[in-house]
Order: sequence, then structure tokens, then C-alpha cells
Amino acid sequence: MKSGNNGMSVKRKQEAAGWAFLTPATLLIFIMSFYPILQALFTSFQTGAGVKMAWADPWYNNYIRMFKDKLFLRSVGNTFLYLLIQVPIMLILAILLAQILNNKDLKFRGFFRTCIFLPCATALVSYALIFKSLFATEGLINHILVSLGILQQNYNFLGNPTSAKAVIIIALLWRWTGYNMVFYLAGLQNIEYSIYEAAKIDGANGWKSFWHITVPLLRPTIIMTVIMSINGTLQLYDESVNLTAGGPANSTITMSHYIYNNSFGTGVANFGYAAAMSFFVFILVAILALINMKVGDTRD
Amino acid sequence: MTKKKVSGTQKRLIPAYIFLIIMAFLSVFPFYWMISAATNETLAVARGKLTFGTYTIENYKNLLAQTDLWGAMKNSFVYATAQTIMAILVCSLAGFGFELYHDKAKDRLFGILLLAMMIPGVATMIPLFKMISKAGLLNTVWGFMLPAVSTPFLIMMFRQNSRNFPTEIMEAARIDGQSEPGIFFRMYFPIMRSTYAAAAVITFMNAWNSYMWPRIVMTRNQAQTMPMLIANLSNGYKVDYGMLMMGVLFCSVPTMVIFFVLQKQFAEGVAGAVK
Amino acid sequence: MKKSLVAMALIGAAAVVMAMPAMAEEHKLSVYAWDPNFNIPALEGAAADYKENVDPDFELEILTQSGSSDVETAVTLAGNAGDYSELPDIVLFQDHYIQNFVATYPDAWVAIEGADIDWSDFGEEKLSYSIIDGQHYGVPVDNGTAIFAYRVDLLEEAGYTIDDMTGCTWEKFIEVGEAVKEATGKYLLCMDGSGNDLMYMMMQAEGGSQWKDGEPYITENETLKKVMEVIIEMGQKDILYLGNDWTDYTNNTIQGDMVAGVMNGNWIIPTIASVPENSGKWELTSLPTLEGGEGYAANGGSSLYITSNCDNVDLAKDFLAKTFGGSKQTYDYALTNGGVITCCLSAGESEVYGEGIEFWNNQPIYADIVAMSGKVPIIEQNDYHYQLRTLLGAAVVNCINGSDLDSELAGAEEQIRFQMGL
Repeated sequence: MKSGNNGMSVKRKQEAAGWAFLTPATLLIFIMSFYPILQALFTSFQTGAGVKMAWADPWYNNYIRMFKDKLFLRSVGNTFLYLLIQVPIMLILAILLAQILNNKDLKFRGFFRTCIFLPCATALVSYALIFKSLFATEGLINHILVSLGILQQNYNFLGNPTSAKAVIIIALLWRWTGYNMVFYLAGLQNIEYSIYEAAKIDGANGWKSFWHITVPLLRPTIIMTVIMSINGTLQLYDESVNLTAGGPANSTITMSHYIYNNSFGTGVANFGYAAAMSFFVFILVAILALINMKVGDTRD
Repeated sequence: MTKKKVSGTQKRLIPAYIFLIIMAFLSVFPFYWMISAATNETLAVARGKLTFGTYTIENYKNLLAQTDLWGAMKNSFVYATAQTIMAILVCSLAGFGFELYHDKAKDRLFGILLLAMMIPGVATMIPLFKMISKAGLLNTVWGFMLPAVSTPFLIMMFRQNSRNFPTEIMEAARIDGQSEPGIFFRMYFPIMRSTYAAAAVITFMNAWNSYMWPRIVMTRNQAQTMPMLIANLSNGYKVDYGMLMMGVLFCSVPTMVIFFVLQKQFAEGVAGAVK
Repeated sequence: MKKSLVAMALIGAAAVVMAMPAMAEEHKLSVYAWDPNFNIPALEGAAADYKENVDPDFELEILTQSGSSDVETAVTLAGNAGDYSELPDIVLFQDHYIQNFVATYPDAWVAIEGADIDWSDFGEEKLSYSIIDGQHYGVPVDNGTAIFAYRVDLLEEAGYTIDDMTGCTWEKFIEVGEAVKEATGKYLLCMDGSGNDLMYMMMQAEGGSQWKDGEPYITENETLKKVMEVIIEMGQKDILYLGNDWTDYTNNTIQGDMVAGVMNGNWIIPTIASVPENSGKWELTSLPTLEGGEGYAANGGSSLYITSNCDNVDLAKDFLAKTFGGSKQTYDYALTNGGVITCCLSAGESEVYGEGIEFWNNQPIYADIVAMSGKVPIIEQNDYHYQLRTLLGAAVVNCINGSDLDSELAGAEEQIRFQMGL
């Protein structure tokens, strides 16, 4: 930095400006995220609601309680099932699509990209309704499968624990694959196209250049999308509530849905317990994100 | 010679085309279903009728009669626009500050702010409600947007994109006597256009589509948003599916239009973020 | 620089509080309600009634919610924030919540004492929900009396009539169900599997409860076990269809013509009646029981409650007393425009109630239902009603898929005791 006679004061001014720029955002995050989460921490040592609110005995009781709660453990299991099945399929599909769409010889690229991204523009409430009516027992999917002879008679997709989970996964794939694809597509645009041309001359085929060029160069993007997906999946709520209502027999309920149910919707609120479970989710997300970043870093 | 080569390339791309056509079809089909359902009467929809019907006008009329459709559209539009403007302003300022004035302390602060991304919405909902309620902000646009104005994700996006911002320009501007906010508004703002577009698309979609929080803080009819209106329609003792899908259609059109219009800038903005 | 100042000011404005002062109005009340085809028209009718006959300046602002659960969430949030100022004067929600709400948020409510209401004209069972410490908190709106509606044309195809079904045993019901399924392919019974009220209604029809002395009464409860066995058998024999959620139950199952029978609170009637081509094909009767004889039960139904945020309690009480508390005009309007059936026993004698309904094969269903509502037995209730419903509903689904009933019931009892902190 060039400094004039009053170099110090210019520098100080800049320093102050830098802090001033980030103050509104920082303050808002502190007030709207950190302060409430601190309050939730206090709440997590209490039980009951309203005039029945009292300190838990012992104070960490809610944190022990959740590991004895079979329903909560099931919701953890369900959430992880979505995480382990849906996230890899979605991300691989998204990278593949991005790779294909990045080919400059391909025609109608813009059209395909727009189509595949379109699902992201729908509201969660809307898309849950659309999928529910598509997969209803008398709904369209059943009509098609029966008339094609794949099914003998109409099948209640949302009424069976396994197929209901599958419908949630399909819905999630539909909604989010295009979103992730856009990030990869953007990442690919930062890779010089000539690298691919060179690889082609060296005789590398599509798969080879995919594994040896695309994936390594996209690593930062992949890490980012994985963290986003883990975070999104562990906090999954709308699909469980609007698509299956957690059923049948709680077989599709997610952690956030179960936490919500402990605060509202059943007549007896237990905010302390709900807060304790939210903290568990928070810690899980943080740990998984950390592992992810570490793994991403040390592969160099 | 070139012609042959081109057609040869296209031939090799046939599997790619087939794959893309299938994916595009699967992506667009539910929209087709939504639009065709909006033209049918409720029983036809419940029984999976796939073709267009003749009930469009009736569904629209019923929707107008039963709900304050345009009021909700206006609300959603006002809230989402306000949130978008505030969010991109606040977060771009922060991204600008974090990247272009960065030092150890700011980097550490940024790391702390990132933690907020991992806080589950259900955890803060009740304390936030208490806060908004005590401040008298229920049923106001402030109550709607304040918790979502400053998000770590957007700050991160602007911060990453700012790496492409040529610092030499800043130096030159300073020598010309430009103030620091002046640099932000006169130079950063226009140069980062595509990042702003991408951030605006993402924020607008999130704001328009948000449901859980508005349902809690917007307790008055007059403050109802589109997703709330749809949810209200879908939960009665008797649901008119055709009318409902008409509502879903109305709720989906604005976000789709915005995406279509800003598509190119959106892709560019995201590209800068993942560099 | 000027531009940037404006922008900074804009950010600062985020902190500005924009509270709107609530105006106390003498002739105006506000209320939370949720169904534009059901309780909202009923409230509109009540407002018109009061305006016409009592206070010409009266105005009722109906705040539409997406369901009873929204109202319950609003109450819970306000109670927890200790700030009732955003609640309307009156709220409408399902009967099972009020006991716990009064216990948890005592300062949120105003008891409806001193209002000019003849309580003895209401079904005792209905009132038992909203009487707390001897005080009335709620004015009933709809009556939750359970009905069993049958498609008589489909019964006939299988060789039965509705008289065969009235007062039959569940064993006989299953026999008929199989015959109907065979002859027509339709289910004789259906329910929303995500909120399965079959156990509750069937237990009440037997005069039994899932609760005893404030504790869950499940594994030791022989009646409950028999009821569960019946439900599971029906599920396995494909006589019972469990919808995946509420809309699947109403839209696809009932309106989609998958069934020949519907058993639920009578508020399900508008759903059944919304398929015009089925007009004249339905009739309704009471519930089957385990040992035979007519069973009476109630499910759902809601009441209006005055909140502590109400500035004009006298007006609210007077409005409730002179409308839902005993006005034939309100009841008749609510019935014709929303299908809301009152639990005011004398209202059943009105002309509107006594009319034969064409859709129901000219059966005077409304008078029949009001008559049934007087026979519903009072059973022990509990705040954890909905939690137990969820657990038993899950047990039913698991047993239909092959789990062992005893272990499922033991699991449900363990979990509900866990949730109750017992």
C-alpha cells in the first residue's frame, strides 16, 4: 500500500470501513441466530411448558432422555438413511449432468439446463402436494404402472414404510439435483476447456477424463455441496411433514419433524426436550461438516 | 470433411441426448401435471386425469371466491422483494468487508458466523418468536424477513466472488480520493452484477417459498403469503384439488419467471462463488 | 457518498420498531377458524344472526388458519412467549386440547361464566371436555358424534342392507366386508392412517377408555386388545383401507370412490356428499360393537374459547350465548351452509334438522345425529390423547404388516409412559 503523509489515518479509515461493512450482517447473525440458540441452550435444561415449566432433574436429563427415546432414535435412523442414500445419488447425478452439459458440441444445452433446474423454483409446500397427488393410490403413477402392466393393481406407495421412504428420496432427488448441478456446472466453467481437449488428444475417453480431470478439479465445489446437502438433510422437515406426515407408523419421520412434534401439534408441549434434541442435531451437523472439510483438505 | 466430423460427434453424443431428454422430461413432468390439474375439476384430478380439461375458469373463479389470492400474491411479492434487497445489501457489504479488508480477526469472525449455518431452524424458532413478538413485529415485513436477512451462505457467496474483484482498481480509486463506501457503491456494485443476480435469485426464491416461519409470525389474514394460502386450501375437511393446483400454479409462476429472466447472470454468479 | 448514506440509513431502519397499536372497538370481535367449507360459514352465519337480532353494528373478523393445529400452535407460542396480545378475542380448536391448555397457560383464558346459556340442552359428553374445575370454558360449535355411513347400493350388490349393519357385531361386519370386497372391489371401512381414530371410537362405543386413573391402560386392557385385533384383521383382509394422510383419506379414498363405508365424526359428511353422482346411494347409522348392539361414540368436534386478550369479554360472552349457545337461526344457517351439526339437543327438533336429505336417500340424518349425540358415553380422557393415538396407529400398521400385537402394545405402553414421564 502506498502511503502519503497522512498514511496512518488513511489506513485507520480503511480499517474502520472494513469493520463497518461487516457490522450489520454480523450483528444480525448474532441477534437472530446466536442469541436465540443460547436461549435454547437454557431451555434445554428445563421441562414442560407455560406455568409447568421447571428445571429438569438432573439438569442434563433431557440429554439422557433422548437416547432412551425409541421414537427419537428412529427419527435419527430415518434421517441418516436419507442422508446415506439420497445425497450420494443426487450428487453423482448432478456431476454427471454437469459434465454432459459442459460439452460444447452438445446442442440445446440451455434448454436442458433450464428444464433440470426448474424444480428448484417450486415452493416446498407446492412440490409436496404435487408428489402426493402423483403417488396417490388412485393417482397418476399408479395409472401409468398398471396400464403398462408393471403393477397388477394400484399400490399405496405412501402407505408402506419402504416405498414411502423411496417416494421421499425420489422427491428430494427431483427437487435438489438441478440445484447442485448448477454449482458443478459453474465449477466446470472455471476449468479451462483446453484441458479436456488435451486429454482427448492423449486418448483419454469420457470416463477417464471425468475421474481424472473433472472430479479432482471440482473438489472444492464437491466439498461445498456435500456440506450443504448434509446440513439440509439433517434438518429435513418439510418433506416429512407435507409428503408423508412422518407415516406410516413413524417410518419416515425426520429428526426436525420429531422435534417440532415435541413443541407443537400434540397438545402437550415439551420445549426443553425439543431444545435438547435440536442441540444434538446442531452438534451432528457441525461434526459432519468438520470431517468433510478435513477429508477434503488432506487428500492433497 | 467438417460436416462429417460434426455428425460423427453428434452420433457419439446420442446416449447423452437420450439421458438428458429423460432427465429433462422427469424434471418438467410434474409441472405439466400441475398445469393440467389446474384445468380439471377435483374428482378428475384425484383420479389421475392426465389431459387438459375445461375447468380452468371455474377453478380460478373458485380460488378468487374462497381466498384473497391477489392479496396473498401482493404480500408474497412485497415481503420477498424487501427481503431480497435487504439481504443482498447486508450480505454483499459483509462479503466485501470480509474479503477485501481481510485480516486474521475478520477471518476468525467469519469462521464463527459460518457456525450459524448449522443451527437447525427448529431450535431457534421459539426464542425468535418471543423476540419478534416482544418487539411488536408480528405481521410486519420486518418480522417476516429479519431472521433471514443475514445468512452465512450469502456472505460466503459474496466473499468468494470478491476474490475476482481487481484490487488494483481499489487502489486507483483511493488515490483518486474515492471514499470506502464510494468504492463499494460505485465500483464493487456494478462489477459484481452477476453475483448480485445469483444472490437475488436464491434469496427471492427462499423468501417466496418459505413457509414455517411466516406461518408463525404472520398471524393475520391480511398478512398471508402464497405458500400459507396453498396450505390453507389443502387442509380443510374437503379439498378441491383443481382449485388447489390453480393456487400452486400461481405460487410457482413468479419464481419461475425470475429464474428464466436472470438465468445467465445466475450461472455466472454461482461460477464465481465456487472458484 | 449521498447514495451510500441512504443505504446505511436503510440498514439502520431495520431496527426501527413498527408496532401497530391494537384498537379497542366496542362492536367488533375477532376469531380464529379454519375451514372455508365448514366452520367459517357457520361463524359467518352466527355473526349475521347477532347483527340482525342483537347488535346492528356488530362485526366479526374471521381470521383464517390452515387447520386446528395452526390455532393450537398459535396458542402454544403465545403462551410460551407469555404474550397473548396477538391472539384474537375468540379461538376455535379441537376439544382434546383445552384441558391441557388451561392447566399450562391458565392466564390465557376467560371462563364463560354468567353467560345466558342453558347448558343442560347440550350433550353431556361434549361439555365434559371444556368444563374445568366446574367452570365452562368453551361453547360447542360442531358435534363430533360418530356416524357409520354405508353405500347402500354396494351393500345390496353383496346381498346386505343397512339394517343388517345397524347394531351388528364386528365379527359380522368383517363377514359383510369380505362379501362387499368380493362383489364390488370396495373397502367397507377406511381411516386416515396418520391420525387413526378407529381405536378411540371403537373403544368409546364399548364404553371403554385407553386411560385409567390418569395413566395409560393398554396391555392389561382386554377390550382394547380385542378392538385392535378386529382392526388388524380388517386390515389384513383388505376390508379396511388406511389412507396415508388426511388428503389421501378425504380426496382419494372417499371422494375417489374407493370405499363402501365411512366411520368417523359427522364432520366427514360434507366430504362424502361432495361427490354428486353418488347422491341417493348413502345412508348412515350407528357403530358396530364387539358383542352386538348399537355403539355411540364421538370424534373430533371443536368449541369456541374466549382468550384473555379479549378487550370486550361481555360482548364475546353475549355473542356466544346468543348464537352457538342457543340460537336456532345460527344452528340452521350453520347446518345448511357448512354442514355443521350442533350438539344442542333441542335444535334437533327444528324443521331444517328434520328434513330428509336427498343425498342420503331422504334419511333425516341431522335429526338422527343429534339424537345419537345424547347417547355417547362419557369416558376418561387424557392430555396425551394424540400422542397415544400416534403410537397405537403405528402399532396397527406394524401388526397389519405382520408384527406381534402383544409386543407392539407393550412397546406403545412403554413409549407413552416414557413421554408422560411416568
